[in-house]
Amino acid sequence: MTCPAETASYLFPKTLREALALQADPATRGKILAGGTDLMAQWAAGVPVPPRILVLRGLRELESIRILRDEIEIGTGVTHALIRDCAEIRPHLPALVAASSSVGATQIQAVGTLAGNAANASPAGDTAPALLVTGGRVRLASASGVREVPLTAFWTGYRQIAARPDEIITHFLLPKRGRARERFRKIGTRRAQAISKIMAASRIRILPDRTVESAAIALGSVAPTAIRLDSVEALLTGKKLTPALINKAEALASDSVTPIADIRSTAEYRRWIAGRLVRDALESLL
Amino acid sequence: MNIHRSWKLNGNRVAVSVPPGRRLLDLLRDDLRLTGAKEGCGEGECGACTVLLDGDPVASCLLLAAQVPDGAEILTIEGVERTRLGRVIQQAYIDAGAVQCGFCIPGMVLSSYALLKRNPSPSTAQIKTALAGNLCRCTGYVKIVKAVRLAARRAKGATP
Repeated sequence: MTCPAETASYLFPKTLREALALQADPATRGKILAGGTDLMAQWAAGVPVPPRILVLRGLRELESIRILRDEIEIGTGVTHALIRDCAEIRPHLPALVAASSSVGATQIQAVGTLAGNAANASPAGDTAPALLVTGGRVRLASASGVREVPLTAFWTGYRQIAARPDEIITHFLLPKRGRARERFRKIGTRRAQAISKIMAASRIRILPDRTVESAAIALGSVAPTAIRLDSVEALLTGKKLTPALINKAEALASDSVTPIADIRSTAEYRRWIAGRLVRDALESLL
Repeated sequence: MNIHRSWKLNGNRVAVSVPPGRRLLDLLRDDLRLTGAKEGCGEGECGACTVLLDGDPVASCLLLAAQVPDGAEILTIEGVERTRLGRVIQQAYIDAGAVQCGFCIPGMVLSSYALLKRNPSPSTAQIKTALAGNLCRCTGYVKIVKAVRLAARRAKGATP
């Protein structure tokens, strides 16, 4: 049998510099394939295969995780399996570790990358909410330079990202959680191999007297992109976490999202569970 | 233009010349005649095409052969059944009655093998996580999980 991917032409740059040079020229520019677990599935399902594909797998310089003083740097070639198994990052980014551990199943985690999950920009991408609550940045490189974009500005619309066509994601820079606590929950039909109905990630710091010092809460699959719940975060910040405040936060979360119905879930269920997931995140702090 | 790769496939050095868009699954089945890996869904959902890449289960239907770097080690069911642990797992699947139509079983055995290589005494929860990417449509998973526990017991203490 012939796979649809066989119709394209492929480029295998050996260094980032070579990849950036290829992407700089519209005549050689290709669709970037990292692990390929999303793209290959899409092409098998009938999404048109682009004429040129740039295979980024195997660039050693982009396949490492570095623990910096205040943040974690994750290269674009880092797989979900590496994030799942890297004991050094687990204390600092537990929500991301949980999200990467919940992508597909082990077969997908071994090959799929964090950058691919981000660049694919599906509203149901498992890692996006966990990335959003870190308040981190994406580093984008092109032949003409490097820039950093806050993750909150990275997903610009349904399957759209802030990277220009000549840019390549090289790293994620994710602040450590410090004294805040993180949580990640994913609701799907089945725990593995099922695209999510909805995901929630949170990074919240409460003081010993239960005052919420800072709150970052994000949901996936309730909007064209993963979103931060700004209004819920504002409601919580500076207040004491009481059952009454949790009730308010749950209601506000449900009211502030406008999910759609699709083959995986209904709008009503998603709106209800959005509130329940916010409640779950807050009750886990008590 | 073909891409050249050299790997260790089931313990043997192989050099392949492959069109860059060819899936690893097609290379294995059609060119190398290793038909143990099956095409179920073709979208990475079912695990029937599982092979081990450097010891990790991967979906060979989602991987371009050319993505697999030189020097990589690929293990298919044809190679695993030549190992002692592989035979222990296969016999345990038979003895536990875990095999019905058999289509999913090469993938199941490979995921079991990867698990037991790394963790010789897995908990039931760890077995379920390791097999979560392998779907069986004949039966349930009770006997399959039992088979892995049986294989773990039999493999323990035995020399390879």
